[in-house]
Amino acid sequence: MYEFAQMLLKGLGESLYMTLSSTVLAYLFGLPLGILLVVTEPSGLAPRPWLNSALGLVVNSARSVPFLILLVAVLPFTRAIVGTTIGTTATIVPLVLGAAPFIARLVESSLKEVDQGVVEAALAMGASPLQIVLKVLLPEAGPSLILGSAIAVTTILGYSALAGFVGGGGLGDIAIRFGYYRYQKDTMLVTVLLLVVLVQLFQGFGMRLAKRSDKRL
Amino acid sequence: MAETIIQTRNLSKRFADGNLALEGIDLDIYAGEIFGIIGKSGAGKSTLARCLNLLEKPTGGEVFFGGESLSTLKGKALYQRRQGMGMIFQQFNLFMQRSVLDNVRFPMEIAGFARRAARVRAEELLELVKLGEKADSFPARLSGGQRQRVAIARALALNPRVLICDEATSALDPETTRDILALLRDINERFQITMVMITHEMQVVQGVCHRVAVLDQSRLAETGPVREVFSNPQSKAAQALLLGEERSAALLLQFLKEKGLSLEEVLSRV
Ligand SMILES: Nc1ncnc2c1ncn2[C@@H]1O[C@H](COP(=O)(O)OP(=O)(O)OP(=O)(O)O)[C@@H](O)[C@H]1O
Ligand SMILES: [Mg+2]
Repeated sequence: MYEFAQMLLKGLGESLYMTLSSTVLAYLFGLPLGILLVVTEPSGLAPRPWLNSALGLVVNSARSVPFLILLVAVLPFTRAIVGTTIGTTATIVPLVLGAAPFIARLVESSLKEVDQGVVEAALAMGASPLQIVLKVLLPEAGPSLILGSAIAVTTILGYSALAGFVGGGGLGDIAIRFGYYRYQKDTMLVTVLLLVVLVQLFQGFGMRLAKRSDKRL
Repeated sequence: MAETIIQTRNLSKRFADGNLALEGIDLDIYAGEIFGIIGKSGAGKSTLARCLNLLEKPTGGEVFFGGESLSTLKGKALYQRRQGMGMIFQQFNLFMQRSVLDNVRFPMEIAGFARRAARVRAEELLELVKLGEKADSFPARLSGGQRQRVAIARALALNPRVLICDEATSALDPETTRDILALLRDINERFQITMVMITHEMQVVQGVCHRVAVLDQSRLAETGPVREVFSNPQSKAAQALLLGEERSAALLLQFLKEKGLSLEEVLSRV
């Protein structure tokens, strides 16, 4: 029993490590990408229709690859970067690749919610496109971006559980090794419950934070 | 004669969809005056306002600001010229996630003011629009009139030579409209800031404007001192605007008569 708890705890730690570091890294790519998608639109702050279509195509293509296939397809790439293809750190690579385009779309839709009139006011004051992104779009979209990040975290948590299939570690790994291969239904149930609780916590926390930060309420 | 601060020559704007919103507009707006631009919905008023600070790029003709042609300016040079013109809007367009004080501070942040100097000036401006005690509130908590006051303070932050007001009072009730117009007139008189008032309401033009241009279907129908245009309209468009008002007044009087009331009686009750 004690060993079981310890194993779960370790799995939980691994899941959190994978999820949180993947989220941060995926935002490092997804946030700028999402901003570019908005800004380069034909009606955007710095219209580059050609670049916009290209970026859109890349994002859509990446998003249409099922995560399980991505997981396997990037193995050589993962080995090149991390030096191994198994374990939690190795799993971060496909997680980031899979989540970044998704995050780009989340960011894009949050930024598009910002009232165009407010952007126009900033333009009329002589703000540059960069200033508008940093001082208007991002702050005004703040609450929506926070909500989006809660969706991103929970989605990445789900992906990370899937990574258990290829020896990725974490709760998903435990669920598959014990519950699936050894028919220990209880183990599987407990791990799945833990995942449910985690999703609830992240989502609830994100929603509360978004609400607290929103000055329109 | 007074110095011309904004001038347009043969200004045209055709949108990408082929819609011709402005055609051959020649305007001379004098420094220090309150210049009205009136016209029906869809006449092109907002487009004209947005062409003055090049938020909308004209497809023909030129816009001069302080004698300098803006049409060829790009990037930093254009951003700097825009800082010399404030603008306020029908929907106020305040930053909802910034406090009132931070809204007023925004243009100064953009222009690179020192933090302290910006704060001091923002506080002064809020006093000017009589919202000193609301500095730490957020726009969502303010009434329409208060929001427009914040927008005015914000638009004045960089000491603009011109304030462009696009339907600044159209979302406000009559009493608040009067307050805002009085504030704008006061600012015009105290700081000699030129004002361009875009409106579809006669009362706004009659109340505060010195001269007025009538815009009709993308073209300038008539320009002149308010009193002349209103007492002796030359163009069909100006006549229609005036007639519209007269007709409503006639309808009102007839309505009162049917109800057996006199205008004096009604006015004494409100
Ligand atoms: N971005 C745009 N693309 C295409 N057509 C436009 C665009 N903006 C405005 N128009 C058109 O240009 C014409 C003038 O519009 P504008 O907004 O300047 O009118 P307005 O006089 O300000 O009207 P209102 O009193 O309703 O505000 C309208 O026919 C409008 O449909
Ligand atoms: Mg308009």
